[in-house]
Amino acid sequence: MSRRPMQGSVSGRHASPHRGSSIEFAEYRKYVPGDDLRRLDWRAYGRSDRFYIKEFEADTNLRLCLIIDTSGSMGYGSQGVSKLEYARRIGATLGFLASQQGDAVGLACVANGLGQHVPPRRSAAHLRLVFDLLEQAKPHGETQLARTLHELAETNQQRALIVIISDLFIDPAILGNCFQHLRFRKHDVAVFHLLDPQEIEFNFRRPTRFLDMEGGPAIFAEPNDIARRYQAALEQYLAGVKQVVLESAIDYHRVQIDEDYEKVLVRFLTSRTQAKGLR
Amino acid sequence: MSFLQPWLLAALPLIALPIIIHLINQRRFQSVQWGAMMFLLAAQRMARGYSRLRQWLIMLFRTLAVAGLILAVSRPLASGWVGLAAGGKADTTIVLLDRSPSMQEQAVGSGISKLQTGRQQLVRILGTLGSQRYVLIDSGSREARELESPEALTSVATAGPASAPADLPLMLQAAYDYIKTQRAGRTEIWICSDLRANDWSPDSSRWNALRDAFLVLPQGVRLHLLAYSQPHTDNVSVRVTGVKRHVSKTGAELLVSVRLARGEDGKKQEIPLQFEIEGSRSVVNVELTGRQTELRDHLIPIEAKKLRGFGRVSIPADANSADNKFFFVFDEQPARKTLVVADDPSVGVPLQLTAAISPDDAATCTADIVSAEQLATTEWDKISLVLWQAPLPSGGIAEQLQAFVDRGGQVVFFPPREPGSGTFSGQRWESWVDAAAAVESWRGDADLLARTQSGAALPVGQLEIHRHCKIKGESTSLAMLSSGEPLLSRAQTDRGGVYFWSTTPAAQDSTLASNGIVLYAFVQRAIAAGVAVLGRTRWLEAGNAGGDASSQWQRLSGDEEALSTEAHCHAGVYSAGDKLLAVNRPAPEDEEKQLSDTTVSELFRGLDFTRVDDQAGNAAALIQEIWRMFLFVMLLSLVLEAVLCFPKALPAKGAAT
Repeated sequence: MSRRPMQGSVSGRHASPHRGSSIEFAEYRKYVPGDDLRRLDWRAYGRSDRFYIKEFEADTNLRLCLIIDTSGSMGYGSQGVSKLEYARRIGATLGFLASQQGDAVGLACVANGLGQHVPPRRSAAHLRLVFDLLEQAKPHGETQLARTLHELAETNQQRALIVIISDLFIDPAILGNCFQHLRFRKHDVAVFHLLDPQEIEFNFRRPTRFLDMEGGPAIFAEPNDIARRYQAALEQYLAGVKQVVLESAIDYHRVQIDEDYEKVLVRFLTSRTQAKGLR
Repeated sequence: MSFLQPWLLAALPLIALPIIIHLINQRRFQSVQWGAMMFLLAAQRMARGYSRLRQWLIMLFRTLAVAGLILAVSRPLASGWVGLAAGGKADTTIVLLDRSPSMQEQAVGSGISKLQTGRQQLVRILGTLGSQRYVLIDSGSREARELESPEALTSVATAGPASAPADLPLMLQAAYDYIKTQRAGRTEIWICSDLRANDWSPDSSRWNALRDAFLVLPQGVRLHLLAYSQPHTDNVSVRVTGVKRHVSKTGAELLVSVRLARGEDGKKQEIPLQFEIEGSRSVVNVELTGRQTELRDHLIPIEAKKLRGFGRVSIPADANSADNKFFFVFDEQPARKTLVVADDPSVGVPLQLTAAISPDDAATCTADIVSAEQLATTEWDKISLVLWQAPLPSGGIAEQLQAFVDRGGQVVFFPPREPGSGTFSGQRWESWVDAAAAVESWRGDADLLARTQSGAALPVGQLEIHRHCKIKGESTSLAMLSSGEPLLSRAQTDRGGVYFWSTTPAAQDSTLASNGIVLYAFVQRAIAAGVAVLGRTRWLEAGNAGGDASSQWQRLSGDEEALSTEAHCHAGVYSAGDKLLAVNRPAPEDEEKQLSDTTVSELFRGLDFTRVDDQAGNAAALIQEIWRMFLFVMLLSLVLEAVLCFPKALPAKGAAT
């Protein structure tokens, strides 16, 4: 599942950044004193009269770090399912899949700050804990995702697959800094950008008072007047996000929450598998 | 702005309806929990300028639409002035129409006079405003006549041009009397005039009385002035200042004096004067320089046996046809006979000398000193002036003198040595005052102490008054002493003239005799005024003479279309019995002095008054209904509101995904 080599404590199904014993050949390297003589390729010595060490890809387990945005805006859902509920499903499924593969699963719920947080572990009991936390997560408060991502980037020393599930209602420039930070720390970053269809279409008809789910001041608007500019602002924002994604080379998936989450996951896993194959 | 249905303006508060509906709508909003506030905030930031303006524009157009509808149904009037404020249909509309000669001045090129333009405008205005009753008071008859409709203004003869001047205070008085007697309801008075000072008499005390009278009328009277005050500077007027029949060795001839005048100094103009005497015409060119030129004693030969007759002087057509001709009559000069009744020979003799010396070779003057008793046998028909220095007459003599005055004769009283208690024409003598007094002031503009034709003032100020006798009674002072007492006063009379001097020509009383110019001019002018009514020809000012008797006059020359009942208002020559009458416009009509705006405002101070200025020949309606414009504004507002409200095409669904 990980597109990048993962450091792990046990041998797993994911490529490790450490060269080790494995069946998958990696490369030849000149022998230097101190190398394990058992890994000397004698055949190569016979052909070239030089000492080469044969290196293989070492398989390791994955550290999956799920970051779920639980700010107030995630509670919105015009189709009966809120963005948080959708995020729970994706997060839980990914956690389960990772756990089944023997990967470590961690969870961070982000609202006003870093809320419920469990580091990645491999045990089944830990997965239960992750599920419980997901179930208990309630949408509340203002998004502090950017600050939290910076914190996680600093505190998670080991490489991990960081899956962010959020509506990303943050300035794309700030978001870009967060992704750059995570990438700088060698983390594999995947983002599920959740948007409700109503947030995209904005097809209100009557004069409406919009109450901020994150506690900000309410806005009264005539939808006929404001829809066009709303769409323009949204397009500008999405263009900004797209630019950020390209610059930070993260695995970005925009998801409309009326879409079946299974399809979304299949698309996600497939794309990652393909990306790994290409590599 | 004025409205024909102003009560509908009470619905104007309905223009707040769109605002109220907007406010109600705003209270009917739905509340939605919303997460993507950042886009709404961004949209609002973008909307700060145009969107807010659009909201206000929509509100404005909705308000305009309602206002346009209300104003349209209120039937607004467009007018050339603000505040016509007709205020709905009047019960009575009275038109005061100035038909004076100056109102016949025409616009350049159009050939339409001020009077015609005014009548047409009034027809349009009154037709638009409407009224239960229309009344015309014209300047000729000054009587209120009801009209069937405003259109009658253009057809009735009494609204046509006349030679008589207008007396606006009198016309307003007639309007007031009509309102009072007919108990008219809300009344509109429309005055159509060219604001000539001689027609308006702005200094008359009648204005104060009229103002007060109109102010207390309970029914509410609104006055509107339709003013045609723009003078035509190129207009030239002609006036005959004197006609004398002269007999010479070769035959008879007329000596005609003519004055040409114009409003402003202009370039030298050669004007052909056409003289027409009972069918025979002659033309003489006269150069007009400055403001006026006088042709004196122009000689026109006539048949020797023609003792009396009439004629006309005319000039080519110009801006005002009403002052382009002047009618005259002539006759043998009657004897200028004066009777002197004097107790004191030192008074009687100078008076007799003064009256007996004729200023004209062709005229003979006689003056007889008689006693009061001899008057009983006097042939009054041949007397033109009576100079009286004796106790005021009483009994039969007084009646004879009063009859003489009523016929148009002139009587001048000087104080007797012993003033009695008798009165004449409401005047009586009081005691003598033995104190010298100088002449303080005198009227040089009119009456017997007026300036000469050349404009020189009589030397009244040089007179020395040694003693004087006080005069008691209501009279018009023509000269005042420094003591505040009148030196010369004129009693109020319908016809003729009754004058009272407060001193005599006796040397111990004054220098009237020794400084004889004033006395001579005074006496000769009084004789001329008396002769004017004695002869078989009369020169009359249109409007001032004749009255009801004028319907009996036979027109010999003049406007053929004029009503016979209005003969005294139309210039022409008429015969009345054995007399020939020449009726012409009064001299002040040739003066172009007009009321200033301030004076007009002052005259109507405190009254509900509006004024509109128009020009002769103006074909455009002064007022017209403009509800269509407001209806258009309403429709336009609705269309614009709809355009602004029309929802703009939203981006296709999912365009942002």
